[in-house]
Amino acid sequence: MSPRDLPASPSTPSAPLPLSLSDLVVERVGFGLFVLDRDMNVLMWNRFMQDHSGVAAADVIGRPVFERFPDLPRAWLTRKVESVFQLGSFAFSSWEQRPYLFRFDHDRPITGGVDYMQQDCTFMPLMQDREVIAVCVTLSDVTHVSIMQREREDAVARLREYADRDGLTGIANRRYFEGRLADEFARWQRYGGEMSVLLFDLDHFKKINDEFGHVVGDTVLRAMAQRVAQVVRKQDVFGRFGGEEFALLLPCTPLDDALHVAEKIRHTIGDAPVEVQGVVVPVTASVGAAAARPGASDYEVMINEADAALYSAKRQGRNRCVALIHEPS
Amino acid sequence: MPDRVFTELQRDALQEIANLGMGQAATRLSGLLNAFIELSVPRVRVVAVSEAAQALREMTGIDGPVTAVRQGFRSEIKGEALVICRSGEIAELGALIGGPYAQSTRDALTEQELVFDVANVLSGACVSSMLDQLGRLPVFSQPGLLGGAIMLDEVFQPGMLAWDLALLVEVNFALEDQRFRAHLVMLMAEESIHHVSRAIDALLHSL
Repeated sequence: MSPRDLPASPSTPSAPLPLSLSDLVVERVGFGLFVLDRDMNVLMWNRFMQDHSGVAAADVIGRPVFERFPDLPRAWLTRKVESVFQLGSFAFSSWEQRPYLFRFDHDRPITGGVDYMQQDCTFMPLMQDREVIAVCVTLSDVTHVSIMQREREDAVARLREYADRDGLTGIANRRYFEGRLADEFARWQRYGGEMSVLLFDLDHFKKINDEFGHVVGDTVLRAMAQRVAQVVRKQDVFGRFGGEEFALLLPCTPLDDALHVAEKIRHTIGDAPVEVQGVVVPVTASVGAAAARPGASDYEVMINEADAALYSAKRQGRNRCVALIHEPS
Repeated sequence: MPDRVFTELQRDALQEIANLGMGQAATRLSGLLNAFIELSVPRVRVVAVSEAAQALREMTGIDGPVTAVRQGFRSEIKGEALVICRSGEIAELGALIGGPYAQSTRDALTEQELVFDVANVLSGACVSSMLDQLGRLPVFSQPGLLGGAIMLDEVFQPGMLAWDLALLVEVNFALEDQRFRAHLVMLMAEESIHHVSRAIDALLHSL
């Protein structure tokens, strides 16, 4: 049947009413369409709504929409529709704020990971002679959009995690460590209190690499990072500073306590050798400690002082902890 | 000044149309919210892209970061509506819609939903009323957050825009006796300016 053969809109009510092209479109279109009057009675209900709700047009038209759908957010929906009548303008609802209006199934029940069809709704004023005569609601299935968005958010979270981690040892990398140190230092500058930093370094690591090869060297680094990670407190930040050098940020910790932690770490590393591919590798560490002190302009002063203490520990014969003590001026 | 776009007669007419439109919007909003919403006298300006951000700063009186919700509207005359307020004051936007309107909502609204709701109500009322004066019936798109804390300069990305001139209509809202103000700006680009101009002429002829 070509459009020309379609009868014009019917002038006499004779059953069955011939359908116009727009009627046919509304019937088959791939999103929900229904019309409400000011008392929330349903005036129109398309096939999408019927298929997904299981309620036929004949059973809902002429009745308040809440009669068949008591789960609808009544006050919210009434207010939306009323605002369209009063303002003669559109209203919206997005899945991001309100996941769905109707509890409809979606076509990814197995792989989707969402409970009901996610919906975007538009409330459109139907105007005649500049008056709103009814509100047409369109309902789009945006389940796939919501799934994609969730997948993207997950990917970003994973990337962020990777960006903060050291690839070899899995602990914080230097960029992340320095970021946290800068934050903590700023907090200390504002609120005062105590904070310390440890820098430590595996002794004669170059020799381990040379003697046993890089694979063994890497395994030693990983094993040491794991051992130390198990003894640091939750609030501390433990990171790989580069090569065989590690750093530990100790918030709210005075230098004396930091030295206790330093000793604990030195023992954790040195008390038992690492066994790699049948080879027993003894490892020790030297630790330098420094605390934030008034007058320091930025956190790098602390890092430099801890580095100087570490250097001093190396010079004193390694496998020891040294703190940089400032004489009170 | 790019204000040569409109003749003096057209400019006066446009200002009058904006006054009438926003007056109608205020009436409709007061009806909906059951509270008296105070609307400022609308300000109408034609600006070049390069001056658009500065114009927004002058019109809103805001220099710092803002929260902005945008919404497109479309008819022969099309454009975007922005609801703008100072970033720190976004929570107060909800207060504009206090009273019975909010109390009728037993379902909890998230803050974001509330913000979009208020922005949609304000821009819907103003844009519909203004375009109604010009004999146009717009279709709206979903509101979206332009940014939670952006500078007004970031609203326009001059390199990316396909137009040189914009028509800005600004109006701001407050509840009686409240300091907090939300701003609504309608932005219409070149092509739409010509349609506005023609619509004004048609209106003037019909008088």
